[in-house]
Amino acid sequence: MSERPLGELTASSQQEPASPAARAAELTKTYGMGDAIVRALDGVDVEFERARFTAVMGPSGSGKSTLMHCMAGLDVPTSGRSFIGDQEIGLLDDAGLTQLRRDRIGFVFQSFNLVPTLTAAENITLPADLAAVEIDRAWFDSLVAQLGIADRLSHRPSELSGGQQQRIACARAMIGRPELIFADEPTGNLDSNSSAELLAFVRGAVSEHGQSIVMVTHDPRAASYADRVVFLADGRVVGELIAPTADAVLEQMKQLGG
Amino acid sequence: MRKVTIKGLLARKLRLALTALAIVLGVMFVTGTLVLGDTLNRTFDNLVGTVYEHVSFEIRGRATLKGVSNGVDSTVNRRPIPQSIVASVRRIPGVQFAYGSVEGYAQFVARDGNTIGGTGSSAGFSFDPNPKLSALRLVAGRAPTTGHEVLMDRATATNYHFAIGDTVRVLLPGPPQTFTITGIVTFGSDDNLAGETLAGFYLPTAQKLFNLAGYYDTINVLAAPGADNVALQRVIARVLPPGVEVVSGQTVANELYQTINNALSFLSSALLIFAFIALFVGAFTIFNTFSITVGQRTRELALLRVIGASRGQVFRSVLGEAAVMGLAASLIGLGLGVVAAIGLKALLKAFSITLPSAPLVFEARTPVVAIALGVGVTVLSAIVPARRAVRIPPVAALVEHSEHEGQSMRRSRVAAGACALVAGIVATVAGVIDGSTLLVGLGAVAVFIAAGMLVPVVARPLSGVLGRPLAAMLGTPGRLGRENSMRSPRRTAQTAGALMVGLALVSTVAVLGNSLAASAKANVDSALKAGYIIGGSDSISTSVPAIVYRLPGVTATTVVFKGDFDVRGSLSSLAAVSTAGLSQTVDLHVIAGRGTAAMAAGQLLVDTNTASSDHLHIGSEVPVTFAQTGPTTMRIGGIYKYNPLVGSFVTGAGFFVSHFNHPLIDGVLVSTASGTRHFEQTLERALGAYANLNIQSRAQFERSEQKSLNQLLGLVYVLLALAVMIALIGIVNTLMLSVFERTHEIGLLRAVGMKRRQVRAMIRSESVIIALFGAIVGVVIGTGLGIALASSLRQSSVTQIAVPLPSLFGFLVLSALLGLAAASWPGRRASKLDVLAAIASE
Repeated sequence: MSERPLGELTASSQQEPASPAARAAELTKTYGMGDAIVRALDGVDVEFERARFTAVMGPSGSGKSTLMHCMAGLDVPTSGRSFIGDQEIGLLDDAGLTQLRRDRIGFVFQSFNLVPTLTAAENITLPADLAAVEIDRAWFDSLVAQLGIADRLSHRPSELSGGQQQRIACARAMIGRPELIFADEPTGNLDSNSSAELLAFVRGAVSEHGQSIVMVTHDPRAASYADRVVFLADGRVVGELIAPTADAVLEQMKQLGG
Repeated sequence: MRKVTIKGLLARKLRLALTALAIVLGVMFVTGTLVLGDTLNRTFDNLVGTVYEHVSFEIRGRATLKGVSNGVDSTVNRRPIPQSIVASVRRIPGVQFAYGSVEGYAQFVARDGNTIGGTGSSAGFSFDPNPKLSALRLVAGRAPTTGHEVLMDRATATNYHFAIGDTVRVLLPGPPQTFTITGIVTFGSDDNLAGETLAGFYLPTAQKLFNLAGYYDTINVLAAPGADNVALQRVIARVLPPGVEVVSGQTVANELYQTINNALSFLSSALLIFAFIALFVGAFTIFNTFSITVGQRTRELALLRVIGASRGQVFRSVLGEAAVMGLAASLIGLGLGVVAAIGLKALLKAFSITLPSAPLVFEARTPVVAIALGVGVTVLSAIVPARRAVRIPPVAALVEHSEHEGQSMRRSRVAAGACALVAGIVATVAGVIDGSTLLVGLGAVAVFIAAGMLVPVVARPLSGVLGRPLAAMLGTPGRLGRENSMRSPRRTAQTAGALMVGLALVSTVAVLGNSLAASAKANVDSALKAGYIIGGSDSISTSVPAIVYRLPGVTATTVVFKGDFDVRGSLSSLAAVSTAGLSQTVDLHVIAGRGTAAMAAGQLLVDTNTASSDHLHIGSEVPVTFAQTGPTTMRIGGIYKYNPLVGSFVTGAGFFVSHFNHPLIDGVLVSTASGTRHFEQTLERALGAYANLNIQSRAQFERSEQKSLNQLLGLVYVLLALAVMIALIGIVNTLMLSVFERTHEIGLLRAVGMKRRQVRAMIRSESVIIALFGAIVGVVIGTGLGIALASSLRQSSVTQIAVPLPSLFGFLVLSALLGLAAASWPGRRASKLDVLAAIASE
């Protein structure tokens, strides 16, 4: 496998003691004013390590999606700072944020991950095409093989199953070897078989390729694939588990009233 | 259900506002046309009323030509009456006044040597000091009493700084003369006669100047108070010689009014055609918008059905929306239409069609027609989408929203479209072979219908082809734009359809116009040998040819006359040429009989078309009638190949002059010996006194023919531009709807790294593809129709078919640019979408 040297280098050389893949400091996000004020994030401090699979869990309304949006530069926090690597994203303008998302971050959403007019292959290479850079053909082939979608590449999203669509989305997120992938409930719309397949792949990406991944979920079983689970409630970090099991996660969630 | 309709309208304000704009513009155009027409009508109506306000009777020569308009051309097409009649009329009891008058060509020359007033807008009158019989009012100074005095209208005096006591040069049927201004006149309360300059002369002077010594054109009679007008008219009729009639002032007013009305209604109809084209194009936009919104509201409409709305209620809800929107748009259009009327007037003026100034007239009919049209077009356009809405099953509310994209075209529709296309092409070709413009027109309509039905079939492949260079140039945004234009062929086709109609018409006009211009040049080349052409504003003094003939270097001059006569019961135009030296100035291809000799002998020459269609042969005797001299017969002396300079009938000048009363010259053709230098300047100097003359070299003549044609084309383009503009609004509208519909998708693209600039590029690509698609189909159809129309006219004036490729290509480029412009707003909106809101919505 001929890897792109830079990707491998950043992943391996910065594994120890290096700066985290992403970090938030005193992050708050409020909506509304006065009595009607809603604190979606209430002073969140959190770090996501490199080459780790971190799950963010919490009951609905806990602010886990808001946290992800703010850290990925999709939303602007009310106060506090967040970093991707050493880059403080609050200092970037729209063009800078766009470039950051394109070159350093990958996304997998719960639904509507693919552009309906493009084929599966075109969807995978979309970020590279937008940046007008060559993709790593060998890496592409390897991803496609691992995800088992080689025979689906010329299909349009409407001709693919939900599981296949999410796998394509994963491939798109990984093709540029981003520093960090944000996955927002990636298995939320999938049956248990498809979920298991997808999560196994994500787990493998972290273990085998050193990919950093942050996954927002409310499914304890999904969270159990992670190296670490961060629990959020009422816009605050309220706990974490290292090397979680589904039961331990479920127990923690019960305590949070989720 | 009404609440749902209203809420629905409010929720989609922006889209509806854009759609409504198409109707607003159409209704505005219709209103403007109607208001302008009514205003002009009223203006002339008032004028006519002023002229014949106090005239009880008019005595005049009886019209001998059928079909000659009675009012305007009365002096040309009626015989003058002997002035002795006035004495016998005055002796009749019950006649208070009787006063003879003459009129003719008299044009003022400004101090800088230029003529005042344009073509056909300079009138000379004998001045009647009796205010009861004349519409001319002396507002300053005194009436002329000698042969060297003249009255001037107040408008000319004011605009060109003439005062009583000044001298002014006047162009006349004979040599120009200088007069002293003795007074200023108005026409009723107006400063001049609807833009026409007025020169008032002492009656005997006017008779002499207009070659009417001993004659009057008309005698106006005022009945004594209390006289029995019916009886009086009968008594007057009894003293009149044969060929002279007496009619009531009311009759004359009505005739004049009718004539003016006919001319105006032609103008109004022409403008209305363009207004209807604009509305037709607008209908495309409405149809498209409602189709898309019904598609987008599938779930909402299905939900209504689930909770118990009947099919009828859904249908009425959609149509109700259309009706409310149509009404609102029509009201706005109505208001703007009044403004447009002023604009239209200015536009016509810019193309040198001068109209009198008057306050705008707003008839009750105008709002009724405008609103009925606006609402009608909107509702009709919404019927098909409404029927589609009715077909949505209630279960659609429960399943995942899926657009009906990539719907396969119904086979019956394709078959019907193909049939219409074949029928249209057959009719068009038949029309071309047959030379029937009507058949070509019918074929054109069929082709348009076929295009409407078939365009969605070609939309996908053609958009794909058009998008390829964009995709190559712009990369991913270009490719996405291309894909977007291909994803719903029906939507793309409907959006492009409006532009297609607009550009088809523009291209038809361009091809036809270019062919006409090329033909005009070819015609001049093949018909004219003279090096110089002297033309005037239809009024060349009879003293001009003699002056020209004496100039050094002149080898031949030909005088051309034109007039109306009646041939075998139908009114036709007769040309006449002086025969001496004719072969040096005119190229008349005589193919049977004799040419010059026959004309000199007063025989009639006809062109081949007329000869074959009327079965005329050399030696045939044809019955003809002249306005001045009555019926006679003419012998066919020769048959020539159609010549656009002289038309279908031509004879010798000697014969012509003896049958028309002192006709003015239509043109003088001059040939010079080879090597004559600076002849144009020589001519200008010799004819300097005749400021109205237009002296042109052969090349200038060709160019001016094309220039007047281009001016007309320019006017047509301006009017069609409105239709193209409405089509553009349709594109903006569709793009806005698409952006709205693809919020998610655009959000996703932004999330994975598409820059704002790239979003805009994507929308622009789609817009340019749609615009180019419509433009290409339109230009192809239009070019075909233009060629067909030009071919069907080839027996008359169109001898050449010339496709203006640079212009057509220019239209395509322009359309692409307009497509770019249309994308600017939707593109901005799409690029400003909040990424988070876009991916979080739903």
